[in-house]
Amino acid sequence: MDDRLRETLSAMMDDEADELSVRRLLSHDSQDEVRAQWQRWQDVRDLMHDGHSPVHGMDVSVAVRELLDGRGSATARPDPAVQDSKAGRWHWPAAAMVAMALLVGFGAGAGWDSSGAGPVQPVTAAAPETPVQDQPIREIALQGLDEEQWEYMSRYLLEHAQHNSVGAGRGAVGYARLVSANGVGY
Amino acid sequence: MPQAFIDILRCGALSLLVGLLLTLAGSLPAAADEDEASAWLERLGPALNMTSYRGVFVYARGESVHSMQIAHRYNDGVVEERLVLQDGGSGEIVRKGMNVVCVLPETGRVQLDQVIPSGPFAEAFTSQLMPVNRWYRAEMKGEDRVAGYDVVSLALSAKDPYRYSHRLWLEKSTGLLVKSHVRNAEGEVLEQFQFTSLHIGEDIPDSEFEIRTKGREISRTLDEPTPAASVVQRMNGWQLGWRPEGFMPAAAPRSGKGQAVAFSDGLAAFSVFVEPAGPVTMPTGASKIGATTVYMHQVKEGGNAFLVTVVGELPPQTARQVAESVRIEDSLALGAGES
Repeated sequence: MDDRLRETLSAMMDDEADELSVRRLLSHDSQDEVRAQWQRWQDVRDLMHDGHSPVHGMDVSVAVRELLDGRGSATARPDPAVQDSKAGRWHWPAAAMVAMALLVGFGAGAGWDSSGAGPVQPVTAAAPETPVQDQPIREIALQGLDEEQWEYMSRYLLEHAQHNSVGAGRGAVGYARLVSANGVGY
Repeated sequence: MPQAFIDILRCGALSLLVGLLLTLAGSLPAAADEDEASAWLERLGPALNMTSYRGVFVYARGESVHSMQIAHRYNDGVVEERLVLQDGGSGEIVRKGMNVVCVLPETGRVQLDQVIPSGPFAEAFTSQLMPVNRWYRAEMKGEDRVAGYDVVSLALSAKDPYRYSHRLWLEKSTGLLVKSHVRNAEGEVLEQFQFTSLHIGEDIPDSEFEIRTKGREISRTLDEPTPAASVVQRMNGWQLGWRPEGFMPAAAPRSGKGQAVAFSDGLAAFSVFVEPAGPVTMPTGASKIGATTVYMHQVKEGGNAFLVTVVGELPPQTARQVAESVRIEDSLALGAGES
């Protein structure tokens, strides 16, 4: 791991890392190394602050998925792992939380595959009259996609937005979707 | 007690009763309310094209917020429009009638030619009025002020769980859409659009419609509107087993080698793409960007894999249901096996 990455990691500890460097860090080849370093620093910090390391035994992937989806804690589910430990009361800055979970929680590769592993509350849960599939929908966080996958998906987004801008008669809204699709998430 | 006073009391009680009855009666005819909302909706489409205006609006969905400057003029039956991005990379879209020129930032990961609208523009579409009232409950929500203009607000609440609800704010004298919200069943705002500054009027100089950004330009002449009948052609090789009631085939985007069909219920729209699975492995599941859901899944047919993608302003459950209803009937027609 070069100094720049280490610097980013350090900035992340203080929640001062910018998005670009975090992304660079996340796309770093040896994620194990990054993860190990992060965990070491966390442990050190926790020792210094006499706290409990949330890294151990805390499943943050659900919360992170929700963060990534911008749903906040609206669909917070009881998670025994979180409730049992003091870690549940930790208020982490969103950016650090996301970054940490990507590093620690999602496992090697940080790909979409493991990010969508857990059940996510069905969105239509509030509409019990829904006669259809009650099984949870697997959610894919855009941030979990690799570059090729993102490009693939954004092509569809754009084509749909194009149609929207021209077809649905919403004028500026359609255009806005189009432009937004061009830059979404990045 | 003097009789006169009792009379006054009785009179007061009576008028109170009458007043109460009137109030009740006023709240009863929701139908009249719906009629008013419908009348406003009918103005929406034409107003978008035939009003001349300029201003700045913000558009937010998910975590992204964009600000754009727009000038729109309706001149001798020709729509002229110029949109300039106000944040991020510089870029603009200029349209005159059916000619569109895009200058977009090079920083985007997406190739520029994918950004150009390639389908027919709105006029043809908006003229065919959708019976929005069948799928949404229209309701007047009172008056307000947006970007300095008096507006009326109307709520369009989805009558079934298959679509999102909308809230529209229309300028009073022209019917121009100046603000909108897309909300889910919980009332959470997923996507919003709003003018922050606005000037409505014919006096927009020609210079407002000239390209000023330097960069790679891409221009294209839009095709004539595609008749809905050709949907059959575009669905060559596959069938959609289910779609929410009210979504009709609409002007469609042109997909590369695959097949794309778009549907709209007048407010929301979704597109279905069916393509032979490419070299990129895509995950199965739903991604959400504000009100837009992308649902992808793979279908195997005759030894070939196909990627079905549904993109639209739909709840994830609906998108999945649509995607999973796609049946491949003729893999050859879809170009399976070609690289």
